[in-house]
Amino acid sequence: MIVSLLLGALVSLVCGLDRVAILQIMISRPIVAAPLVALILGEPQIGLQIGVMVELLWLARLPVGAAVPPDDTQVAIASSVLAIILGRTLNASGIELLLLCLLVAIPLGKVGQYFDRYARQYNVRLIKQVDLALDRGSLLQAELQHLRGLTSFSLAAIGTYAIVLVGGLLIIPFLWPLLQQPLSYSSAWVQLALPLVGIAVILGTINVSRAITLFCASFCMSFLLMWLV
Amino acid sequence: MAISRRTRLHIWLRLLLLQASWNFERLQGIGFFYSLLPGLRKLYKKEKLLDVSRKYVGYFNTHVYLAPMVAGAVLKLEEEQAAVVGDQTLEIDNFKEMVAAPYAAIGDALFWGGLRPLAAGVALFFAVKGILWAPLIFILIYNIVPTWFRTVFFVRGYRQGMQSVEFIQQHRLPDWAIHTKETAVVILGGLSAFMVFSQLTQHQLPSWLGMLTLIPMVFLGLVARKGLSTLLLVLITVISIFFIGLFWADVVSLISF
Repeated sequence: MIVSLLLGALVSLVCGLDRVAILQIMISRPIVAAPLVALILGEPQIGLQIGVMVELLWLARLPVGAAVPPDDTQVAIASSVLAIILGRTLNASGIELLLLCLLVAIPLGKVGQYFDRYARQYNVRLIKQVDLALDRGSLLQAELQHLRGLTSFSLAAIGTYAIVLVGGLLIIPFLWPLLQQPLSYSSAWVQLALPLVGIAVILGTINVSRAITLFCASFCMSFLLMWLV
Repeated sequence: MAISRRTRLHIWLRLLLLQASWNFERLQGIGFFYSLLPGLRKLYKKEKLLDVSRKYVGYFNTHVYLAPMVAGAVLKLEEEQAAVVGDQTLEIDNFKEMVAAPYAAIGDALFWGGLRPLAAGVALFFAVKGILWAPLIFILIYNIVPTWFRTVFFVRGYRQGMQSVEFIQQHRLPDWAIHTKETAVVILGGLSAFMVFSQLTQHQLPSWLGMLTLIPMVFLGLVARKGLSTLLLVLITVISIFFIGLFWADVVSLISF
């Protein structure tokens, strides 16, 4: 279990840095990060299912200017790790446990937004250090201050991952016996509803004239085609 | 003195770390200074280098994929500034300020608002089918355009300096952003239909029921437009489905009893 948690933390760190601080090649997107961590832990299908459900949820929240969107990367990674670990310890499988992990992780992931904000606030201190280094004539020190910013983003990523994970490990074992049966009646529909809610939010905020018309036309055409063929 | 290809490559690589010290006060300011430093070191020495460096640690913010173009153009201007007698400092500062905000707006609309949902929509078709290559498909589809922007636009920026703005204008990127968003909406429409149809088929329910999905989706879209948070929408939807599921299970057990 410890090894799984640490491997999850490693993925959380790398993907967390890709989110803002380095590269931005989108390995931080839930559709990549969740299957990646699940693949490392030996159950890639769990990650893929979580990736599908989380990917579209906050896609409409753009990282524009100083706006900080919710940390869907850590939600996806931590809920995949939770689903795999708890699946083994509770001897449970199926979409119900996966959904419970995700539904607990989503509100806990809100904390990630505060960590992310705090990291950016903390980095303001680096400005003074850079100015001081330049006054002292040390360009190397000024350069190093920039790289120090990576530490705060790393801590924010790991912090969110740890909060979601610890919260999940404390809450889910208690909820699981109570909710296992009731969840089984609605799990397949909740699994379908989560990406659809994400798509609806994108539709409402995408800022394209006739977005709803285009969407409905595409939906009806595709649906009719699948129905007829 | 022209900046060597090796130094330009060094700068390009450093631009991948542009946001490492992103902060609420100067946003990408320190990162922009960090990226340009290898070039500035070749152009200026001692006190002059420190003076120029102070100028670059100030406020700067643009889209991360278009920053290389600004960096390339600024590098060219600094090169000219170092070669000729006369002070162009104000001109370089003005150029940087003039292009940063419009480039940020173009990039946000094109990449975050258009390309990202488009690539996600395509990849999710594969993911819903359980194909494990879906993440790789997403990474490939998404990264082709940003990589092209990061490299070609950096080269263009350095080659053309201030005229690089015309290069952006020629490509009519705001129009492309709208087309990409429209394509994303169409793909997401197809994806929704695919997911709903698969679910109904799996549960052996009549297919026409799927058309009804449009009603709650359009309603949720309109509510989201009014500013209701996604988290709240998720909670309302999940709780509603959960209780409907429980109620339906009771109805079924009563009928069978």
